Amino acid sequence: MGKHLIIILSILTLLAYAWPAWTRFSTTPMTTASFSPLPRSEFYGNHTPFMDQDFINPDSGSDMVHVGSICEMPNKQLGAVWYGGTREGAKDVAIFFSKKPPGSSATWSSPKIIVDRTSATRELNRYIRKVGNPILFSGPGKQLRLIYVTITLGGWSGSSLNVKISRDSGHTWTDSRRLTLSPFFNISELVKGRPLSVNMKGGDNENRDHFAVPIYHEFLGYFPEILWIAFSRKNQNFIYEKNRMAGGNSFIQPSIAPLNTHSATAFYRCLSPARHIAMARTDDGGQSWSLPKFLDLPNPDSAVDALPLSKGRILLAFNDSPNNREILQLAVSSDSGVNWIRIHTLENSPGQEFSYPYMIKGQNGLIHLVYTWERKRIKHVVFSEAWVDQKLEQAFEK
Amino acid sequence: MTTAFSFVFPFLLMMALCQKGMELLGKRSTGWTPTVILAAISAPMVILPMGGLPMGRWLISLYANPSIPLTALLFSRVLKNAFQTTLLDTGAILTCRGFSLLAGAALYPMALGAGAFDPYPAGWHFSWLFVILLSITLGLIFLKNRFSVVLLATILAYNLHLLESGNLWDYLVDPILVLVAIAGLITRIVKA
Repeated sequence: MGKHLIIILSILTLLAYAWPAWTRFSTTPMTTASFSPLPRSEFYGNHTPFMDQDFINPDSGSDMVHVGSICEMPNKQLGAVWYGGTREGAKDVAIFFSKKPPGSSATWSSPKIIVDRTSATRELNRYIRKVGNPILFSGPGKQLRLIYVTITLGGWSGSSLNVKISRDSGHTWTDSRRLTLSPFFNISELVKGRPLSVNMKGGDNENRDHFAVPIYHEFLGYFPEILWIAFSRKNQNFIYEKNRMAGGNSFIQPSIAPLNTHSATAFYRCLSPARHIAMARTDDGGQSWSLPKFLDLPNPDSAVDALPLSKGRILLAFNDSPNNREILQLAVSSDSGVNWIRIHTLENSPGQEFSYPYMIKGQNGLIHLVYTWERKRIKHVVFSEAWVDQKLEQAFEK
Repeated sequence: MTTAFSFVFPFLLMMALCQKGMELLGKRSTGWTPTVILAAISAPMVILPMGGLPMGRWLISLYANPSIPLTALLFSRVLKNAFQTTLLDTGAILTCRGFSLLAGAALYPMALGAGAFDPYPAGWHFSWLFVILLSITLGLIFLKNRFSVVLLATILAYNLHLLESGNLWDYLVDPILVLVAIAGLITRIVKA
């Protein structure tokens, strides 16, 4: 290399690094977000105790269904997704979508397939062996978003995450787009928990909808993470990054319940022999999390879901056993998740499985819970917060 | 751009395999004529569909983000076989191996769960990773090490978003590059 070439290469290098530096310091990084104010959780809604339940897919054409997710769509209808096929991880597994108009007399539409391994292979322009865990969510804008798992090789540890977007409440969807979230062949990233809407101010952020999506990694280590993803309101672009909630091999499938704009509690599925639900807390908008602490609630290596209620309370849906998924229980905490009172047993049938609860609170204050019912159906339970209070009073009386 | 670039690594790999095949058959692969013929064979093999997907995309199905240093190593090998031109000399290749091992050792154990700290998020936007890489690149330029050009190409590829990933780590290092570096070092030790 001559002297002139050294100078030219040095200048080129400095210029090449100037671009990402300028981008970084001229924009607000996504991970300095704060959780959105929580009007829905603070909204008590109907003061009459109310509870109803139905099956989203009463005539399931699948031998097995699992991992339901529900959201209130931009057109005010309820939308739900889950995966189904001959068995978990089979090649014929597809992701199904169903919707339900507002009103107590309305019923769920016939499930339709949004994506299966054939369409995922075509859309992602790569070989996809099977599809899995989907979550469905909307936000302040008009988009409906789906994040789902695909596997090219191996089992769940070979998973990658993908995004599809609908601008017409689920009638049509964009092609899938792959998220790169792991440096090791981009594998072992999965999703289960309910995304949280987050606030971002300044610049391009005003034209984006921001979310914190609880995800998890399971390969050599098993640990919870947060995917920070921002969707453009103008087009179908999105940007994303992630950070870790905890390291190690013991906790996956985080469920996050915001307490205020910067504080939240996360509840983890426990893989360790302790067999208890674990909890962690953030006070800096999800940038750092406390070390997980075990709660006095059992966990049979199964997903839990936590939903913030009014008056700072948290509702938890979980399998109330260290050994199996036969009991699905609801509990309430009034002290940010430290102590819990069991309020209602949703299911209790020996030998059966009731698992993977997923809850949302609608604009009208009603709480919607979906879960896997005997691996044959996705069950939908809807109740008011007044019903929760009634159950809480009954629990105190006991 | 990203999709088009995803065919570059499979094409170079196919070229390198074809050149090796020629060598095993005792045929000459050096010069314009053999190179053009091999390129004419390799390109359709990578682009044309097989089982519903272009063959290059079958490789991408498993290995979506081949790093820029690995692509450069492969390009250098193909170029040397084709024209006896040395793009990366021994010093640059040794630097590449050492750099890849250090980067892999710094990234993979922690990114896969060893401890609470994950260095991978440092690659999403300008961070300490960029500052370290800038310093190394400038240092290697002043040492007249050709691996500096590969590192410059790496940050340019990141700026142009040539890979599917938007994380600088994926442009810098990948598991196959680490394996290649380990194999190279073992071979060198055994030969010594």
